[in-house]
Amino acid sequence: MSGRRIGVYVCHCGGNISDYVDVERVVQAVKDNDDVVVVRDAMFTCSDATQQEIATDIAEQQLDGLVVASCSPKLHTFTFRDVARRAGLNPYEYTQVNIREQCSWTHTDDRDGATRKAVKLVRAGIARTRLSEPLEPLEVETMPRVLVIGGGIAGMRAAIGLADIGLSVFLVERKLELGGWVGGFGEMFPHAKKGRALIAELKDEIKRRPAITVFTNAELTAKSGTYGNYRAVVRANGESIELEVGQIVVTTGFDSYEPEAGQYGYGIDGVLTLPEFKRLLDESEGPLLHEGKPVRNIAYVYCVGSRDAEHPYCSRFCCSAAVHASLLAVDRDADIRQYHLYRDLRTYGKNELMFNESRKRGSLYLKFADDDLPKVARNDDGLSVTVRDLLTAGEEVTIAADLVVLVTGMVPRQNEELVRTLKLPVGQDGFFNEIHPKLRPVETVVDGVMIAGACQGPKTSAESVASGLAAVAQGAAVLKRGVAELDPQVAVVNVSACTSCGECVAACPFGAISLTTTNGSDGPGVAVIDAAACKGCGGCVPVCPEDAIDLKGYTDSQVRAMIDGLLVGAET
Amino acid sequence: MSTVLSPALARELHQLGEFDAEACLNCGVCSATCPLGIDLLPRRLFRYVVFGLAQRVREESEAIFSCLLCRACEQSCPAGVHITENVRLLRRWLLEEGL
Repeated sequence: MSGRRIGVYVCHCGGNISDYVDVERVVQAVKDNDDVVVVRDAMFTCSDATQQEIATDIAEQQLDGLVVASCSPKLHTFTFRDVARRAGLNPYEYTQVNIREQCSWTHTDDRDGATRKAVKLVRAGIARTRLSEPLEPLEVETMPRVLVIGGGIAGMRAAIGLADIGLSVFLVERKLELGGWVGGFGEMFPHAKKGRALIAELKDEIKRRPAITVFTNAELTAKSGTYGNYRAVVRANGESIELEVGQIVVTTGFDSYEPEAGQYGYGIDGVLTLPEFKRLLDESEGPLLHEGKPVRNIAYVYCVGSRDAEHPYCSRFCCSAAVHASLLAVDRDADIRQYHLYRDLRTYGKNELMFNESRKRGSLYLKFADDDLPKVARNDDGLSVTVRDLLTAGEEVTIAADLVVLVTGMVPRQNEELVRTLKLPVGQDGFFNEIHPKLRPVETVVDGVMIAGACQGPKTSAESVASGLAAVAQGAAVLKRGVAELDPQVAVVNVSACTSCGECVAACPFGAISLTTTNGSDGPGVAVIDAAACKGCGGCVPVCPEDAIDLKGYTDSQVRAMIDGLLVGAET
Repeated sequence: MSTVLSPALARELHQLGEFDAEACLNCGVCSATCPLGIDLLPRRLFRYVVFGLAQRVREESEAIFSCLLCRACEQSCPAGVHITENVRLLRRWLLEEGL
């Protein structure tokens, strides 16, 4: 008897558990365990009614420990921590036991075995709770400054937003000028404004805000520090500058897909990529000419470098951008013939209106099959594109063209040094990964590092700006409070047992441990763990030859007690 | 050997009147609503026209002249194509060609 007062709640999960685990047997098996004051089963432990019942028990029975045997801790850890908190119990006095994923769902062929396993797991949970201690979240002060890496439209707009919300901003751009892709664009869809003009306006706005410091011809070379207090080293014009920031926003953008030589005739004179064609439109006036010759027939080939084996994603912007370019071309020459060879046309949302307009103004759309791609060749009369058109019952037709525009998609920008420096999570497609595509769209698994714009995946400029502003809101939500709360389940060192061997320092993937001398004494010092940098992974615990490190919430004595709980006691 | 597309036929029709088959989306609502069940009319036929496949159009003259001009297809066309007017223009073109 430890004198603890523990409540145990075993969930049926509406049959998800009780169809294969005999919940009543589990209740009977643990009800007489030492320190267990209350045991109940519930159809849905997570329901409001049962949550209230637990809270009432905590208050009336003066419970100081809570075990919930239901589903994965991934699902409801925070639900039951909140129940404990509401009832005045420290949230870390609660243990989640997973008898759904680990018992009922995995052992549908063995009800008796599933039930015995559930009993053991619940006993282990009780054993852990017996040794639990109250923990308080770690509070760290955060630096009200943000480093934005990448001065394209997303990064510039984010910098302005951060400044307006009262934070200082360092905006770092690799090139000599701010602006990125949009800074080089002429007229853009859907509002016909020139990209260059948009960027000029943003530059003015940035100049008007003293809170924004711009570094061009600059790159991030190092990052250290802990949550809310990072030191970033930026090399600008060959000079290294150290910056102290609370958060980092990565807005490094994308590269345009560069077709392989010979792909759809790329390399033949008159076969252009979409950015090359846009430049041709932007940099000339009057009737369209290519190398001095009039352009009367244009063939567009869509999905080049998108939705293929190497790039399985859709690049989102290119259908709309190509349709828009064709409208610019017909503005210049009403009689121009434009053929759009596509696989699926995705002029989504309001961009559909451009598609309708382009058809009314003479653009013709031909649909080809994924496994029967158009062929581009040059002959004496110019370029020819042969395609089997699914919309004309699979008829093979040939287009005589003056220009072939390959509607190229977005590919991830190669930026290995930045990925290494920030430990950025890179997805299978090569773009940076967010934590959750819907609910946490700009945060990464790296604390304090956010991503926005097309470095995260193909986006239009409007979507990039929206995502940059999402990073502003998310950054401000943390930095404007001035303090951040961190998980207290971190490693701690028993200083008197530490022999300064340094094994733990080498084992820590977060650089959270250092050997530090105290009181001005000589020698190698003892291991000191920076709680703000520690992620509670436990990597240092088993490597310590003196067992001098413990992980709060999962101490060695707790884990030993859990093993005993699994092994000791009658099976049912 | 595949046919080389040509704007010539569409240009001739544009000169005859308000020919607007380019706006066709190829959705097929027209064929579905046609009381005569003329499968060709108008979506495949219009593609022959805008692609400049004049011979294909000539081969389909019987279908073009069987159309009742009832406008059922035009009522339902989501792209707002003036289908009946286009068929009229095609008839004129065929007649001027001497069929």
